Amino acid sequence: MIWRRAWLGAIFNVMKRLFICLLLAVATLGGANAQVTPKEEVDLSNIRKPHFNIGIIGGFDRNYHITDVSYMTDYQYSKYAPGSTYGIQLGFTPVNWLTLRLDGVMVQKNYYRSHVISSTHQSFPDTTTNQYINVPLALQLNVGKLVKLHAFGGGYVGYWLSSHRVGRSMGVFGNPEYDTYIDFDSPESQLRDNRLDWGFTYGAGLSTVLFKHLQIGAEIRWYYGMMDIQKPYMQNLNPRYNTTMAIQGGVSYWL
Amino acid sequence: MKIRFYKISVLVFLVLSLAACRKESLVAEDTNPNQRICKTYLDQFEAVWQGMNQGYTFWGVDTVDWDERYAKYQPIFAAFDSRSYVSEYEYQSAYEGLFEGLVDHHLMGIFYSPKGRMTAYVSPGRNDYFHTTSAFFERQKELEALQDRRDLVYYCGCDPEDYGSFSIPGTYFALLKGKTADQRIAYFRFTNFYLNNIYHYKDIIPNSVSAQAALRAFYGPRYWEGITTGAGYANNDSVMGIIIDLRGNGGGSTGDLGPFIASLSQGANMVGYTRVKDGIGRLDYSPWSPYTIYAPSNRLNKEKPIVVLSDINSVSCAELATMLIKNLPNGTFIGERTYGAIGALLPQSEQCHDYFYSGCMGYYELYENGSDYFRYKDIFPYYIYTSTFHMVDKDYQPVEGVGVQPDYEILFNRDRLVNDGKDIQLENAIYFIKNGRVIN
Repeated sequence: MIWRRAWLGAIFNVMKRLFICLLLAVATLGGANAQVTPKEEVDLSNIRKPHFNIGIIGGFDRNYHITDVSYMTDYQYSKYAPGSTYGIQLGFTPVNWLTLRLDGVMVQKNYYRSHVISSTHQSFPDTTTNQYINVPLALQLNVGKLVKLHAFGGGYVGYWLSSHRVGRSMGVFGNPEYDTYIDFDSPESQLRDNRLDWGFTYGAGLSTVLFKHLQIGAEIRWYYGMMDIQKPYMQNLNPRYNTTMAIQGGVSYWL
Repeated sequence: MKIRFYKISVLVFLVLSLAACRKESLVAEDTNPNQRICKTYLDQFEAVWQGMNQGYTFWGVDTVDWDERYAKYQPIFAAFDSRSYVSEYEYQSAYEGLFEGLVDHHLMGIFYSPKGRMTAYVSPGRNDYFHTTSAFFERQKELEALQDRRDLVYYCGCDPEDYGSFSIPGTYFALLKGKTADQRIAYFRFTNFYLNNIYHYKDIIPNSVSAQAALRAFYGPRYWEGITTGAGYANNDSVMGIIIDLRGNGGGSTGDLGPFIASLSQGANMVGYTRVKDGIGRLDYSPWSPYTIYAPSNRLNKEKPIVVLSDINSVSCAELATMLIKNLPNGTFIGERTYGAIGALLPQSEQCHDYFYSGCMGYYELYENGSDYFRYKDIFPYYIYTSTFHMVDKDYQPVEGVGVQPDYEILFNRDRLVNDGKDIQLENAIYFIKNGRVIN
């Protein structure tokens, strides 16, 4: 368990460093550009040329965990649970109204579940924090000039990196609290947990260009998971899906 | 611009139409199997199968393919409904086959048939540790062997008429000579732990023969003082060692472990980890939680060697007690591997399957009062007695179906007991207290 946490920590550290490097790079390039041409107006004719862009995005998300508790009505999943998302984005814009986007983002797909025994009112809460890496590929349509509206749609593939559970369960003596990670290497987890993920992604947003090569924007996007987070290891298995909505901002540099 | 909006609309339409392809929920029957009324053989089978499918706590380690069992036995029970006559043998065999090989050693099922007033009973726990074991007759011989010992100083036990429904000698206590003339070995035998937590049920103890016998044995005749002043005779300065005899102990309430067993320790005793079922999937579990039994304030006031004697007939709570003592730095387990039914449970199904959707399920009344056609003719019930908790030891190693392994394996020797009046397991325990090793 310890080495797993260390492994995940290393991945997060690399992502954080990459994020900071990109932030510094974009800020430096943007800043340098701004210093050279402090009063230069943005030349919108440039953006009509085919170009690549690279940037960073980050924000908050809400995950909607979709499942059927069947007759286990004392179990209730919250409608949604908050989380965070961050990552990098790459884009290629062959013509002004179309962009091909490829992102690499860390997305939390969390959920709350409560088990309140209806007759005794004993409560067994559970908060699960799931860290995924998603790689969405989408086609984006752009309209507007100075302030551009965009909408996009496509698909994503993902991988379940970690699952952290905090809560309370029934014990022989008392109801002990727990704070633990799922060990994905355990035989039980390998039989049960489907770590691969894919689905659709779509959304819309606004962006504008600053300092000729720098674009900032904000958008809302959804990840609509099509993969049950459980493997089909038994019959009569109720599927469990994640739908995640993210509100995020980004900065990108046009190459 | 119109073209762009057209493209956007097509894109959104495609995304939303493809996104409707998620799988539907597959649980066909939407009522708790614990509360279903079973009018047909198939109804009963479906309730039992789904109740076990979701509520049985050992799917993480069990090797039985429960889906394969469904495929095999669902047509058999469906065929029962279409026939005019089903024999008791067929009904019994069908349930025996359904449950065969499941690892839960507490598991027991009673089924009342929709037709023909038949009762099927299954108890699939496997005893793969074959050897001669003690039974009622031998248990009496063990008591006689103790009472005939030359080094017996004091004996306190309940009268034969107080043996109760078990028809075997109940809890008793003895003092034996130690290594020197002024030393003593305190010997306690507990035949069950059905005292239902003496701290919480003091009012009923005066009416409980077994509770009085156990308390008298452990704490002496003035047992009320003993409960609050010390760990019974074990705390006497002349006592050099303690033997806790749990052979044939069928288990009972974990509430008894604190005052009787953990009181011989010096603090918190972590015996392993437990978890419960936590969802409708077979492998939906809560995380592991430490299973700790705390010593009460009236604990043993200094460490002394403790030997626990257990055998293949030590079950459930007796196995927990054995684990607890074996884990103590001054504890040693002599005897045989225990039975292997260690997952704790609550027998009342309304407190298990209705609260936690796991463990015992069905009509508890059937278990308590036995089958009665007129009582159940409109319900055709079943009752399944199964563990609520999945337990592993301190190293996360399985204990269910495995039992607790002794430090020194001394098998039951019937010939010596019956012919020579020698209880070899007890002889070794006494020898170990005196010499720190078993008899060669």
